[in-house]
Amino acid sequence: MSILYMLIPVGLILIAFAAGLFFWAVGNGQFDDLEEPAMLVFDDDEARE
Amino acid sequence: MIALSCYHCGLPTHEGGPTVTVDGAQQPVCCSGCKAVYELIQDNGLDHYYRDRQQPPAETAADTRRVSARRFQADVHRNGDQAALEVYVEGMYCAACSSLVETTLLSIDGVERASIDPLNHRLNVSWYPARIELVDWLNAITGIGYRPRPVTVDGVSPARAEQRASLKRLLLASLGMMQVMMFAIGLYAGDAQGIDARMEYFFRLVSLAVTTPVVAYSAQPFFIGAVRGVAAGRPGMDLPVALAIGLAFFGSVYSTFTHGAEVWFDSVTMFVFFLTLGRHVELRARSRATEKADALRPQLPNTATVIRNEQQVDIPIAEVRTDDLLVLMPGDQAPVDGVLLEGSTSVDESVLNGESHPQTRSAGDEIPAGSINLDTCVQLRVLRTGDSTVLGGIRRLARSAQLGRPQMVQTADRIARLFISAILVLAIAVAIVWSQLDPSRAFVVTLTVLVVTCPCALALATPTAFAAVHSWLSSAGLLLKNADAVEALAKADRVVFDKTGTLTLGRPNIADVRVTDTTLPRDTALQIAAALERHSRHPLARAFADVDSALIAKQVRAVPGHGVEGHVNGQHWKLGTRELVSGESDIQRRSVCLGRDGKCLAEFTLADPLRADAHDVVRSLQRRGLAISLLSGDGEAAVRDAANALGVQDWQAGMTPADKLECIRDWQAAGEKVVMVGDGINDAPVISGADASIAPSHAADVAQTRADMIMLGHRLQPVATALTASRATLAIVRQNIAWAILYNALALPAAAAGMVPTWLAAIGMSASSLLVVMNSLRLSR
Repeated sequence: MSILYMLIPVGLILIAFAAGLFFWAVGNGQFDDLEEPAMLVFDDDEARE
Repeated sequence: MIALSCYHCGLPTHEGGPTVTVDGAQQPVCCSGCKAVYELIQDNGLDHYYRDRQQPPAETAADTRRVSARRFQADVHRNGDQAALEVYVEGMYCAACSSLVETTLLSIDGVERASIDPLNHRLNVSWYPARIELVDWLNAITGIGYRPRPVTVDGVSPARAEQRASLKRLLLASLGMMQVMMFAIGLYAGDAQGIDARMEYFFRLVSLAVTTPVVAYSAQPFFIGAVRGVAAGRPGMDLPVALAIGLAFFGSVYSTFTHGAEVWFDSVTMFVFFLTLGRHVELRARSRATEKADALRPQLPNTATVIRNEQQVDIPIAEVRTDDLLVLMPGDQAPVDGVLLEGSTSVDESVLNGESHPQTRSAGDEIPAGSINLDTCVQLRVLRTGDSTVLGGIRRLARSAQLGRPQMVQTADRIARLFISAILVLAIAVAIVWSQLDPSRAFVVTLTVLVVTCPCALALATPTAFAAVHSWLSSAGLLLKNADAVEALAKADRVVFDKTGTLTLGRPNIADVRVTDTTLPRDTALQIAAALERHSRHPLARAFADVDSALIAKQVRAVPGHGVEGHVNGQHWKLGTRELVSGESDIQRRSVCLGRDGKCLAEFTLADPLRADAHDVVRSLQRRGLAISLLSGDGEAAVRDAANALGVQDWQAGMTPADKLECIRDWQAAGEKVVMVGDGINDAPVISGADASIAPSHAADVAQTRADMIMLGHRLQPVATALTASRATLAIVRQNIAWAILYNALALPAAAAGMVPTWLAAIGMSASSLLVVMNSLRLSR
């Protein structure tokens, strides 16, 4: 069971990394608008040009 | 020279400077700014401020809080020798604050314009950089105790920053909760099967490591809220929450290092996670409601093309004055309200009333700000500018309704606060009792009592429902002016309709002209009538708006309930009921008469079609068990036709506003709750007399109406929606409150008896408040 003394800290480091990544994504505005991007596919690219 | 100090701000000043009169004595002030602020405070009856303040405002105030103008420079727009800037002002709580800031700024030489939007605390200032530096007027704001901030911090608005922070808190809490829960399962299994003491200590240390950032970051708003509440002497629902989190966390830390029997890290993280989730959902709902209100405030163009000295010039919108001639090209959006001078065009007024169909407008028609000209280049005479436009009125309404707190919410707030105090007392009592019974469990049980009780469900029950219904109503084309109306509408027994402009569109047309005197040509009769009606606000007057008339009416006077009279071509004409024109009584009132010298010379038959969905709406209201009445000032025949077409049995014609009011009083005396649907201006007393009222918007009147709700667009459907939504709101509020009471009544005794484990208390409490928020959100559609 002493492997846990190593695995758990490794897991925590991974979690910290994931949290950091998510914080970056929020700060980068990735979650600001969850509705409009889904509509963008209907936008005709040619019509815009 | 004697050293004097300013009566208002305490800065040194000199003799012979400006003074203010305080209780009859002259007191020196340092500048006209302070003088203006003093007078403003005095005019509002707030001069006890000067007696109550402990000491004159420290003169350092302006120095230590000086703002750096550098942060604002990027946002400054330059326009010739003027500059404009939008800043966010921190520390404003009421309208008095905003007017203080505005007045202060406007009294500074070189500041051209300063206006504050109270909803989002944004201040717009135009000034002449040649006469005053940016930093000087920014410091004038700090000088009176407010703090200007750039609207964007690294390009992010404060509202968006709040949402991002909330999302981060939620994520950290959820990640932390999952990890700690995993370790907790290990610990619980260890309790059952036996665990190595070193391993247990390790698990607890790891849990502590994960819980610490959750408590420090995710739970921060609860601690801040609790401290703020205590400091203000009004402990809110954050206090028991913060106490519970704090006690559980530090109790666990203590237990970890003293190798105690239990730790509650899992409960702490779970508690924080669910609470943060509730807050996040609430924040999203609120910002969605604000977004809907913001949709009513489109960006108007910044410049307008006007004719000055027979030349077209582009000038800033602030310089457009009433009666200017405005040129509106196809595709242009009208920046101000105006009257179409000649020709006709079609306009898109969807911004104002959601009506997406282009509307045809001809000479004499009003074109409100925000509408888009679709067809031809036209000229407008400017009627109203800025905040006094129709659009400005709608915005103000939307804002004031959002800021207002209905009676029900205030009551709920008071009860929740009482409840919180009761919990704190109860928790202390439980602690004392258990320390006598079983000191080893006293801490756990007290903690559980604090965690399990849910003032949140009680405190959130009403406001969340009202916030949610707000967005439902606005998407249905209803502006809520007075939130108390929701309660009255939900309890309504009877709906009273006015006819003209309510059941009908109020856009009558002339169906027939009958000239009774051969000396008067048909066209002349029409033109005289049109000239007179141009001065009338009565809905029927619109019928004559299409008539091309070169005649001008003078000394026009409205005869309420009857018509108008005035001079045209030197002759005194009367237009309106037969009674007014010739003195004969006429119950039929089918036509409008034109005449002079007591003789009726021409008759106009007007037709005003019913709104397309009037029949369906009336039927659906009847099916819901509401009594429907039709009270109209129009002639009997017209009202009977409308009543028959709609299937309304209870109708009365030829009523004056006073008659209508009496009718409503009678119904109310019989114990009925009456909703009035009618014109908010002509029927103002009736509207105020009813328990709740809805007025259709005839664009120009939106801002002045006394009605509780205003419906936009050409359909009657919003009336039915308003009733549905109000009933639903009341039902949801009742469900929420019933749930909150039931939950607390069950959970509290169980927890006090020591029968609820801490983790279960955390789930119960959080789930209970989440349930309330979710239930309310059903209203926002």
